[in-house]
Amino acid sequence: MDPMRHLMVQIVTGVGTLLALLTLAIVTNKALREMGEALDRRRRALLEPAVFEYLGATSSKALLDYLPKSLSRRDRRLVERILLEAASFTKGEARDRITAACESLGSVREAIRGLRSRRWWKRADAAEKLGLMRSNAAVGPLVQLMNDQEPEVRIRAARALGLIRGSTSIRPLVRALGDPSRWSAIRVAEILINVGAEAVDELLIAFDALPHNARISALDVLGRIRSLRAVGLLKHCLDDAHPDIRARAAHSLGLIGDPATAADLVRALRDTEWPVRAMAAKALGRLGNPEAIGPLREAMKDRQWWVRANSGEALRNLGPPGREALTETLSSDDPYARHMAVAQLQEGRIIDEYVADLTSSDTGRRAAAIRFIDKVTAAARIDAKTQQAAASAQEGVRRALSNVLETPANGDAR
Amino acid sequence: MADPIAILVADSDAVVRRFVGALLAHSGYQVHEAADGETAVRQAAALKPRLVILDVLLPGRDGYEVINALKADPATTRIPVMALSVKDREEDVVKALNLGAEDYVIKPFSTQELLARIRKILARSG
Repeated sequence: MDPMRHLMVQIVTGVGTLLALLTLAIVTNKALREMGEALDRRRRALLEPAVFEYLGATSSKALLDYLPKSLSRRDRRLVERILLEAASFTKGEARDRITAACESLGSVREAIRGLRSRRWWKRADAAEKLGLMRSNAAVGPLVQLMNDQEPEVRIRAARALGLIRGSTSIRPLVRALGDPSRWSAIRVAEILINVGAEAVDELLIAFDALPHNARISALDVLGRIRSLRAVGLLKHCLDDAHPDIRARAAHSLGLIGDPATAADLVRALRDTEWPVRAMAAKALGRLGNPEAIGPLREAMKDRQWWVRANSGEALRNLGPPGREALTETLSSDDPYARHMAVAQLQEGRIIDEYVADLTSSDTGRRAAAIRFIDKVTAAARIDAKTQQAAASAQEGVRRALSNVLETPANGDAR
Repeated sequence: MADPIAILVADSDAVVRRFVGALLAHSGYQVHEAADGETAVRQAAALKPRLVILDVLLPGRDGYEVINALKADPATTRIPVMALSVKDREEDVVKALNLGAEDYVIKPFSTQELLARIRKILARSG
């Protein structure tokens, strides 16, 4: 045979054999996987009712007492999967039973071993599982894992500690707030917020020792957890030397909403720094304390727009007395306050309510609406109303507005 | 012996459905399951269960639509509905209650608390 031809035959045969082997490997792999899945389904159908019965029970019997006597490695993995799936939608006693079951099955031990894997995604996966298992035995290894070189592994370890809770888990998370070079403060703060009330004491204890930025994050976390236990520290921080600490403390006091802090926030409305005054005004709006109305009206004259805007919004949030205060501010001798009052009344659609009253059959309401629109007009902010007078689809509204604004009924704007 | 009390569990998550089903069956209830809103409405009309437990996030017709449909149909209007959902915002809860749900349980839930609430609803509805 021609050597060239012989070589070609050999190449084609070789490639054909390779392709055939590859196809065989793929088919075998698929068949094995499908067989494995079918076996999993059969075993799961047997194991799942036993696991669910254990989770719903109130007796002290352990999970292994509910399961068949001989459990294969595959069975144990399946039971672990069922337990972790149930962990996502149960709490209380059933949740505690999941932890106990994971410990007795050896799943916790195995996941802790997984934290030492050379592959980072395996370490991350093991950390996530340990968070779902919530075993205290995992706290130490997870705290160590917070020093992992891989950021994703560190954050999964932190999240797992947040799920396990308890002071030994929370302490390293609070410390992580103070190390922005290795941790995203926002992600750690979110974890602490999810921990909730249990994180408050650790934050309060650690607060003074935290670096400046971490203290700001801690104040934010305390506000968002909304624990009254944090009020003392937050009030104290209103006198801090740093204005950003004072501002964040004021903001957090607003989130907690304790009416007893109104006097402190009113004092913060007179702070030398405008961000503190702005946050105090916003917080007073959240508290809903009518005693704040006078100081907020005064703050409407502030030279800083944010302070005036937050004060006006706060008054709007204080119900009818606040709205009344905004209306009275229309007659203020301060043009900044007047303009902000108009803007807030507009924003709250309060002007629109009065405009609608211009066509009311009730003479009293109509007169009140005219008086109100007069005040708005006098506050020199008639542009929007003039436009409305021209554009309103309702003839009655158009005519009434035009009369009040003293514009021709055909809608020519002043 | 009296027939067991029938409860319909509608949840798109098969594991949740089976878990709640097992919990209820173990407490002596007869459990029916539905994986989507349409099936839940159909099953409720056909089986007339004493209680419908449903997830707000059902595929097809969501939980709110299912409550609406059950309350609008004279054949099912008296069947109490308990919402069971991960949606934990105030407006979600209020919306379900306003539409006529008897109770709203947020996931993750306590099994003992869930059973206690179910017993309470069944006692109220006679």
